[in-house]
Amino acid sequence: MTFNHLNRRTHLYLALLLLPWCFMYGVSSLPFSHSQYFQEKFGKPEWKTRFERTYEIEIPPESDLRQVGAQILKDNDLEGSFGVYQPNPERLNIYILGFISPTQVNYFPLEKRLVVADRTFNWNVFLTGMHARGGFQQESFLSDAWAVIVDIVCISMLIWIGSGIYMWWRLSQTRFWGFAALGGGVLSFGVFLWGL
Amino acid sequence: MYLALFLTPWVLMYALSTMAMNHRESFKKIYGEGPSPFVKEQELPYGASFPKDAPPSLIAQQVLSDLNMQGAHRARMSPDGLKLIINRSGPLWPRRITYTPAEGKILIEKQAFRSNAFLESLHRRRGFQSDYLLDDAWAFAVDLVIVAMIFWAASGLWMWWEMRVTRLWGAAFAVTGIAIFGLFLVTI
Repeated sequence: MTFNHLNRRTHLYLALLLLPWCFMYGVSSLPFSHSQYFQEKFGKPEWKTRFERTYEIEIPPESDLRQVGAQILKDNDLEGSFGVYQPNPERLNIYILGFISPTQVNYFPLEKRLVVADRTFNWNVFLTGMHARGGFQQESFLSDAWAVIVDIVCISMLIWIGSGIYMWWRLSQTRFWGFAALGGGVLSFGVFLWGL
Repeated sequence: MYLALFLTPWVLMYALSTMAMNHRESFKKIYGEGPSPFVKEQELPYGASFPKDAPPSLIAQQVLSDLNMQGAHRARMSPDGLKLIINRSGPLWPRRITYTPAEGKILIEKQAFRSNAFLESLHRRRGFQSDYLLDDAWAFAVDLVIVAMIFWAASGLWMWWEMRVTRLWGAAFAVTGIAIFGLFLVTI
């Protein structure tokens, strides 16, 4: 197997393996770039209450909110990767991540009340949620695995650039216009960097 | 191919910036928590006068124009109403311009360069909401990258199907990718 052959196969098979991510990142960029249109088209997501119950847990002033959040989820038979924040002393919000239907857990310490709600499916939020998902801060194996794949997609993009430039270089009849396109792109990008 | 060559800098930027965002915690260890600090660049006298009811956005546009720093920005009055703060969001060196009408002066501060913040600001820059032509041109380039990504995925599939010799292994990779993606879709 020659290097040229290896280069072409790597370029192709890597692209086929990561095709769903390429489609997803491409399509999900549209609601970011045209947010107003997509919000008008798909509306705001709605939350449907799953249950509401009396519940009590102490939240000391300097406590680790993530630990408190994990305990609340455990006590109420809820699970999943989550984020937690306390907008004010009267409320603690936990957001259980999920591409299709994430869950919101609102705890009201003064009222000793817990409300759990699921978000109805919304294309706009589904796409942007997938696009923005990443990072290794969750304790879940699958969340870390998703973050590893995000890294693999990024490294693959670098490989596609390198292997693509190599394939172009081997086609001597396209060199002139290829140079023009590459040079034009680099120049335009430079103008944006300087002028934006 | 020519489209890919033209868009190479954007693809490179999106790959590197996504990695930077995926590893935010590592950058926090390098740079610390919070945004990059602003460093004083220069202080200038500014003698312009504006009507009392002039909105901050109008004053900001005039100030930026006088400083020859036009471009995407956000303007707000300080809570005490004595200063106009303009955040000029350039990708390389974001600046904060503070105009104090009572003292007739302008303070220009430059945000210290951080590689991850630079990449992230480029990644997040999009949309046609700005009044500036260059910002709209950037938004158009972003849309071009989006269309190109979808086109590359579709045209790549077609090119693969045309090469009989790679059909079996290609199908195996494609199905594996779809299966893994599907698994993530329903589990996380």
